Formats: sequence, C-alpha cells, structure tokens
Amino acid sequence: MLVKQVFILSSAVLWLAGCATDPAPIEQLRITEQAIEQAQTMGADDFLQPAQIALQKAQEALAAEDYRAARLYAERAELDARLAEVQALSSMKRNKVAEITAQIQRLRLQLGESQ
Amino acid sequence: MSTCSVRRIIVTGALLSVVGLTGCAHYTEAEQALQQADELFNSIKDDSQVLASAPKDVLRAGESLQRAEQLSGYLGSTEDVQHFAYLSQQYAHIAQERSQIASYQQQIEQLRIQRERLQLALREARLMSVQQQGQWLEEQMISLATQDAERGLVLTLNDMLFDSGRADLKPAANRTVLKLVQFLQMNGQRTVRIEGYSDSDGDVQENLQLSKDRAQAVADTLVDLGVDVKRLQVMGYGDAFPIAENATERGRAQNRRVEIVFSDEVGRLAPERE
Repeated sequence: MLVKQVFILSSAVLWLAGCATDPAPIEQLRITEQAIEQAQTMGADDFLQPAQIALQKAQEALAAEDYRAARLYAERAELDARLAEVQALSSMKRNKVAEITAQIQRLRLQLGESQ
Repeated sequence: MSTCSVRRIIVTGALLSVVGLTGCAHYTEAEQALQQADELFNSIKDDSQVLASAPKDVLRAGESLQRAEQLSGYLGSTEDVQHFAYLSQQYAHIAQERSQIASYQQQIEQLRIQRERLQLALREARLMSVQQQGQWLEEQMISLATQDAERGLVLTLNDMLFDSGRADLKPAANRTVLKLVQFLQMNGQRTVRIEGYSDSDGDVQENLQLSKDRAQAVADTLVDLGVDVKRLQVMGYGDAFPIAENATERGRAQNRRVEIVFSDEVGRLAPERE
C-alpha cells in the first residue's frame, strides 16, 4: 500500500515536470487573435461565437498556467475563426444569388407586362 | 510536443493502471470523434470541386486525421485524438465552405449575364412601347440614310449584304431591313423606290439583270415582312450612276449596292433617274 502511494506521488511529480516543459502558447494565441480579427473585418461576427468561447478558455488556461490546454484551445479557436470567415463569405454569396434571382424575376415580370 | 507527450502518455498510462482504468468512457469518445472526422474526410477527399476550391484545406484535414489515427493507438491519448479529430473536421468544413463559395460565385456570374440581357431587352421594349417609337425609328432611319440633292432621303444597302454575283440578301442585312419595315409601318403614307446597281465588270445586260434582282430581293423581303407591295417600286440601273471608281476592287464593291429612296410624308417620290 505504501509502495503504491509512493508510486502515485512520484508519478504526479513526473506529470507536473512533463507539463512544465509545455511553453506558454503566446505565438499561437497571437495567430488566433489575428484570425478572429480578420474574420471580424470580413463581417463574420454572427459566426464567431465558438471561436471566441474557445479563445476565452485558452486565455483562462494561460492564466492558470495550464499551457497545454491553452495551446489546444487556441488552436481550436483559430480554426473556428477561419471557418467563421468562410461561412460569412458563403452567406454573403448566397444572399447575392438570391438578390440577383429576385431582380431577374422582377425584370421578367416587367418585360412580360410591357409586351 | 513529442518528448513531452510521450512522457505524459507513459505517465498517464502508469497513473491509470494504478488508479484503476477509469478511462474507458473517454476512449470511446475519442473513437467516436475519430470516426466522425474519418467519415467527413472521406466525403470530401474525392469531391473534385472541393479539391479544386480548397486543396490546402483538404490536405490539412487529411494530415490532422492521420495524426489523430496515429495517436489513437496510445492509451491516455484521448484528448489529443479528440483535438486532432476536431481540427480535421474544421479543415474539412472550411474546404466544403470554400467549394460552396466557388459554386455561388459561378452562379452569380451567370445570373449577372442573364440580368444584363433582360435589362437591355426591357430598355428596348420600353423605348418601343412609348409613343415616340415612330420618331425614334425615323431618327434611326435618318442616321442610316443620307440626304440626296435630287432624290431626297436615300438608304444604301452595300455590297457587304450580298454575296458576289448573287442576289440573295445575307442575314447581316436583317437588322437594317427590320428597321426599314418598322419605319414603313409607322409611316403609312410613305412609299419607297428600291434601286439596284452593279459595278462595270462583265456583261452590261447581265449587270442590269443582277442589279434588278438584288433590288427585287430587298422588295420581296419587305413584302414578306408585311409591307404592301403597292408601296414599293423596283428598278435596276446596272452600272449606271457609279458612286466610286470602277478601277479598284474597293470602288467596284461600293458600286454594287441597293439604294432605298424614300418618298415624302404624303407618298410623293422623286422622279426616276435617267
């Protein structure tokens, strides 16, 4: 029993040592924030919630010095932001298709009336 | 990452074996995430439009998936497997979205062409539907025709509208002829004399006949399009009244022509040429 406890304790120490070598993901956080900003300039605010939640978790983990979790969340947030950006663009294009289709229908109607 | 996580895997494995393997539920979760990512990746990796629109994203989705698969063999890698499976799915979603954007863009371009065509048609239809139609046509005809001192308003259909040696009107003449028909319909009192001319090459009698046949071809077309035959006179002048030198091909081409002479508003035509 005592042997087991010693083993657990020593494992925990090893575990902590392992994590301590995970550096603070400062660069990844910078990239993530940049991706979110870029998505915002593309009008993706409506799609950015997942990215912002993940970024917040990353920042909380960073504050708690859990650098590994911070990096994982930051990496997720970056891709969430990049997806948000293309979703926003896709939505804009879809609206454009609908808009021109409606214009064409109106033009057809007018053309039918004038003939 | 590598040394750290390897060490962590070993440590986690040791810890888990000691504490009592509570990780089974997580292991299933990781498997599930991996399976979902795998299915999604398989659905895009052979889609040619997705590949064309987002090759890099497809590649990264594949790399992340591979990473997740490699890690899934290790005990205690649940979090990493889920992480890379998630990244793979996000890349796949981005690729799908880019493909969708490309498809929308294509649609937009086609729709724009269609819209432009309709706008043009509508503008023309409006122009024609208003009362000014007659006047607009008159302006068009006058812009096409020239004012001749003896004969009044004269519209020239040049050699370009006939094949050499032939009397049939080429399709290129349709626009001018259609305008002429509309003009005559809007101006019911006006009559026309259709005069054929040739160059001086070849037999005089044949030239006279060809010039007359060309004038007749124009008259027939007008009749086909609803102009009363009584409003049309047809004349062939052969190589008489050249408008250019017959010495050059260019000059001869100019001389091969049909001229439409318009009467005034009450149907009075200038006398025939002699």
